[in-house]
This record gives sequence, structure tokens and C-alpha cells, in this order.
Amino acid sequence: MEGRAGRAAQQREDRELLRRYHETGDTLAREKLIARHLPLVRSLARRYAGRGEPLEDIEQVGAIGLIKAIDRFDLDREVSLATYATPNVVGEIKRHFRDKGWAIRVPRSLQELNAKMSSTIDDLTARLGHSPSVMEIAESLGTTTEEVLEALEVGSAYSTLSLDTGPGGDDEGDPMETIGSEDEEFDRSEDRATLGPALARLPEREREILRMRFEEGLPQTQIAERVGLSQMHVSRLIRRSLVAMREELG
Amino acid sequence: MATERVELEAPLDFAFQGVVRLIVGGIAEQASFGFEAMDDLQLAIERLLAETGGDGRVKISFEVTDGGVRTRVGPLREGQLADALQEPDGDMGTLTLRRILSTVVDSFGVEEAGDGQIVVRLEKLGTPLS
Repeated sequence: MEGRAGRAAQQREDRELLRRYHETGDTLAREKLIARHLPLVRSLARRYAGRGEPLEDIEQVGAIGLIKAIDRFDLDREVSLATYATPNVVGEIKRHFRDKGWAIRVPRSLQELNAKMSSTIDDLTARLGHSPSVMEIAESLGTTTEEVLEALEVGSAYSTLSLDTGPGGDDEGDPMETIGSEDEEFDRSEDRATLGPALARLPEREREILRMRFEEGLPQTQIAERVGLSQMHVSRLIRRSLVAMREELG
Repeated sequence: MATERVELEAPLDFAFQGVVRLIVGGIAEQASFGFEAMDDLQLAIERLLAETGGDGRVKISFEVTDGGVRTRVGPLREGQLADALQEPDGDMGTLTLRRILSTVVDSFGVEEAGDGQIVVRLEKLGTPLS
């Protein structure tokens, strides 16, 4: 009974936050809703783990589904946000896998190797005290250097595509981008090779990672520690952010 | 290890970036780079090719030595790119190609290749297993 009462209370709080967001544009309420339902996203994302992509990437995609659900929620609906968001989150994750063709085009052995890569690199970095070579990674995983390179490559290729939002022709843009605000620290420039304006439109976490890498000059390992991600994930976020910024500039 | 040279000519098309990255990874592995140094070199070449903004083809040559990897990209018909690479860094917060390359490789430069073309040199030192 206590659990049911607790859920009912949470639903009432959700509804109040949704009302504040939709009726008054209270973005703080929106952020609270996102934070309150991230455990749901993580739980749903875990169902899709082990398919060749790091869990944290799947969670990120699922979070986009959550944000879309919050933004599209109709206050007249007699349904809880969790109930409404679940198919949105799952749909976003499924569409993500389907559109990128990950499961279809990449051999299962490479998917599995890629899934192990992130933790292997972090473990070896900690154990060896330096960023491991491809040979060291291969030895640790009991495979060849060629397969390690291939597995890294399929992950990189996949991640540079995965920042694209609105798969399947959806032109809604990336809801995550609306979280970040304009950062006046980054100057605008007419220089063709300057990515400043596009930088300001990246999500806050990506901007912070780029700032640490290219302003502070921190290595990926230190950035990974600071933001609580794997080194490989930091590498992918840097790459995909730069690709997205360049594409935006055309 | 004697200096070994690898030459590559590839389409500038985005679809072939993965092929180039894979080859760069193999070369970095030959130079005994750690994951991060390999990733840096891949990123440098990837961003440079992306910023050329052109189609057509590009020649890339690599010299693998005990000390690291020297890369030459071009000839490229890209005066604006050359300017961008030779200009001093902008204010902090301006993410230029020059800043990206300054971070991920140990040195880089532009050479005149005649006929209004340039070659971009990148050097990534072999701080072993970094």
C-alpha cells in the first residue's frame, strides 16, 4: 500500500511539474522532471545492453526519448508521465539501433568486442599507468590488433552518426541541445575554420568536455575522471561534437 | 626501427573517413602509440580533411619512426585553410582548427606546394604508450 501511495504522490508531483513547465514555461520544472525519470531511462536502457554499444550511450539516447515525452505531454491526458514516457524512451532506443543499422551491418563478434573495449581501456589505463596500446588491448581481450582496430572503428563510425537527431526524417532537432545555454565565453568569428558559434549550441556537458580538452589541454583520461565517463566515451563525445559542429556550419 | 613510409590516396567523401581512420589506427599501432595518442592522430587528420570542405581526392603520407609519426596531407587547394592554420590562436573559447591541432599533435605546419596548393604537415611524437 505504501508503494502505491508513494507512486500516487510522485504522479501528483510530476503533474504539478508538467503543469508548471507547459503552462508557465518553467524550465527548472522540466529539468526536475528529467532528473526524476532518469532512473526509468536507465532501467529501460539496460534491456538493450550487450548489443554492441556502451550502456551509457543507450541511456543518453533514452534520455532524448524522455525529454520528447515531457515536451509532448498533454496535460489533459489521464496517464502518468512514466507510462507515457516508457514507449517514447523505448521507441527512441529502438529507432536508434534500427536507423544506424548497428545490429544488422556489424558482425556480432565485433559488436561484442566493441562493448568490452571501453572498460578494458579504462582497466588497463589504471593498471598499467598509461594509455594502453592496441597490442595491449588485444592481448587483454585475447584477440588480434586488427580486430581491436576494427572494433574501435565501428564504434567511432557509429558514434559520429549517433548525435544526429530526428532519425527517419524527424526534423525536431535535438532536445538535449535546449538544455545548454549560450556561453558568451565562446566568441563568434567569421573564420571558416572557427567552430565557435556551433560550439555554443552544444549540450552543456559536451561543451565542458571540449573546453577541458582544447582550452585546459587535459588528456582524455583526466576528463573521463572529472565527468564520470569512460575514456572511450569521452573520445566519442569529442569526435561527434566536432562532427556535429562542422555539419551545422555546412 | 627504420623509418617506414606509407602512402595513401583516398576520396575526401565523408563515407571514406572510417577507412582513413582505420589505416591511421594501424599506423599508430606500428608506432606503439597508446590509445589516446592514436585517437589524437586520428582526430587531427579527420578534422583537417573535414575542414578542407572539398570533394575529390587527397593524398596522405605517413613516416613511421621510433620517434613517432610524421604525416603530410595534400597538396590541397585551400588558401583559406592555410590562413586559418597560420593565424595565431584566437581568444580562449574560440575553437579553431588551429587550436584543435595544437592540442592533439605535437607540431604542425603548412608548406607551399606550388601552383597555389599547400601541404599540411602534422607530427605526433611517440611519447611511448601515452
